[in-house]
Amino acid sequence: MTTTPAFAPEPTVVVDRVSKWFGQKVAVSDLSCSFGPGLTGLLGPNGAGKTTLLRVIAGLLRPSDGSISLLGADPRRNPSIYRSVGLVPEEDAVYGFLTARQFVRYATRLSGEGTANVDDAIHAVDLDDAADRPLSGFSKGMRQRAKVAAALVTDPDVLLLDEPLNGTDPMQRAKLIASFRTLAEERTVIVSSHVLAEVERMADRVLAVVDGKLAAAGDVAAIRHAMSDIPYRVRVESEAPRRIAGPLMASDEVTSVSVSGSVLHIETTDLGSLGTIVPRVARDIDVRVTGFEPEDESLESVFRYLVRRR
Amino acid sequence: MKGVLAIVRVTLRQLLGGKRLIVLGLLGLLPAVVIWLTTANRSASAAFQDYNEIAIVILFLIVLPLTALVLGSAALGDERRDGTLSFLLVRPRPRSAITGAKLLAAWIAAAGVTAASGAAASTALSIRTSDWSTLVPTIVGTALAAACYAAVFMVLGHLTSRAVLIGLVYVFIWESGISMAAPSLANVSLFRIGLTAYAGLLPESTRFLSEPLGSLAPGVGGALAKTLGIGLVAVLTAASLLKRRDTT
Repeated sequence: MTTTPAFAPEPTVVVDRVSKWFGQKVAVSDLSCSFGPGLTGLLGPNGAGKTTLLRVIAGLLRPSDGSISLLGADPRRNPSIYRSVGLVPEEDAVYGFLTARQFVRYATRLSGEGTANVDDAIHAVDLDDAADRPLSGFSKGMRQRAKVAAALVTDPDVLLLDEPLNGTDPMQRAKLIASFRTLAEERTVIVSSHVLAEVERMADRVLAVVDGKLAAAGDVAAIRHAMSDIPYRVRVESEAPRRIAGPLMASDEVTSVSVSGSVLHIETTDLGSLGTIVPRVARDIDVRVTGFEPEDESLESVFRYLVRRR
Repeated sequence: MKGVLAIVRVTLRQLLGGKRLIVLGLLGLLPAVVIWLTTANRSASAAFQDYNEIAIVILFLIVLPLTALVLGSAALGDERRDGTLSFLLVRPRPRSAITGAKLLAAWIAAAGVTAASGAAASTALSIRTSDWSTLVPTIVGTALAAACYAAVFMVLGHLTSRAVLIGLVYVFIWESGISMAAPSLANVSLFRIGLTAYAGLLPESTRFLSEPLGSLAPGVGGALAKTLGIGLVAVLTAASLLKRRDTT
């Protein structure tokens, strides 16, 4: 197996030229990568294809093209491998009439495991006090944690987590992230998220996906670096925009400047430096700046740029 | 085996929870209420005739298919609708074990409701006539027909979210309409499987059931064999669909 940023050295999950389309819509396009022990973040904006990819890996969706190897087998042909796989789906898929404890116990019974770990799994997601309440009365974050407990309880070798932090509060999030990191010491953990900061806190390795394609891969620093030379558009409001435009054009960090009424639209490759240049220029020529905000800093636009560049 | 029983238990709670059981329970009272009202001041033989011509027809042509349609189509349909199917499918269980457990649960639920409905109607008749001969045949007949309907509608419920609508068309256009008008089509009618078992166990009822029975000979053995065959085909078909189709 090739060892490049998209491929893990000791893969337990191999995605080989997988495409998945639903009618005319292409959700995943010719994507190849692999995952091994450790925590890998699957990062991308909503609708990027992360959920589809995870469901293809889990064997819930059949690839339109390409193949999946999960622990050395095709999950759609060999359900016995699910003994070693845990999945936390993104949707609110729980049985509302069951209590959290019954739900987790149900997961163990379906997996042919004993129920000895049920209390530990519930404790790991901090649901001890609510364990005997029906899931229908749970908040989204609590249901999310119950799903995580149901996935953890069978002690899987591969854990697939689709946006597992959705709806959780900051304290629960920190606790779940710590749990995932501990689990990833010996297991393959794949976590999808559309929040860069979230992935940054969890994952050592990141695969960025957009429009069903792999946009970037590597450690978090590499992804950050890949993003560093992306031109950002910044909107600056001032009482005299044309007077500021001149000195800014002379700056190396500024790629282009346009004026529209009292607004300057600046394109830069170094957002951080621009944040200091603009106030300095304004002070030098004694012009007041009333607004400064990035116009196009969404993760989606960043990833689109990365895809175009590949 | 524990896993299968766990699926059966959870599915039973899923199927019979909320208002569903109340609505189906009220529907199930219909044959008993009708036979109680129609047999007042009737002789035992006339009451027996009414039971077969009215209560049994309501039970097998309305209560039973509607109940089994709702419960059978929900067995896998609810899991698909609620997104919990993925929870079941990422388990080390053969797909046929999952669909088998689902059918067993749907059958227990449907047979429980309809057999109770039939037993209530039979009891109403028995109170009037002091003759309990209809009780066991009614329960056996409804239980077998419930299994057939649950099997077919379980597969339908997995295939489409419009299973209830399609099932209603089947029940009221095909079963109650076309197949009644053309006795030669009796073989491809599910309620008649239960009815042949009922008539096989209660031969004196056949003279009142010649129209719904059509060309079919009464008998429990044949009905049981057909029920097992339909159940097996349904379990394997649903398992194959779970393997081949995407779970979104």
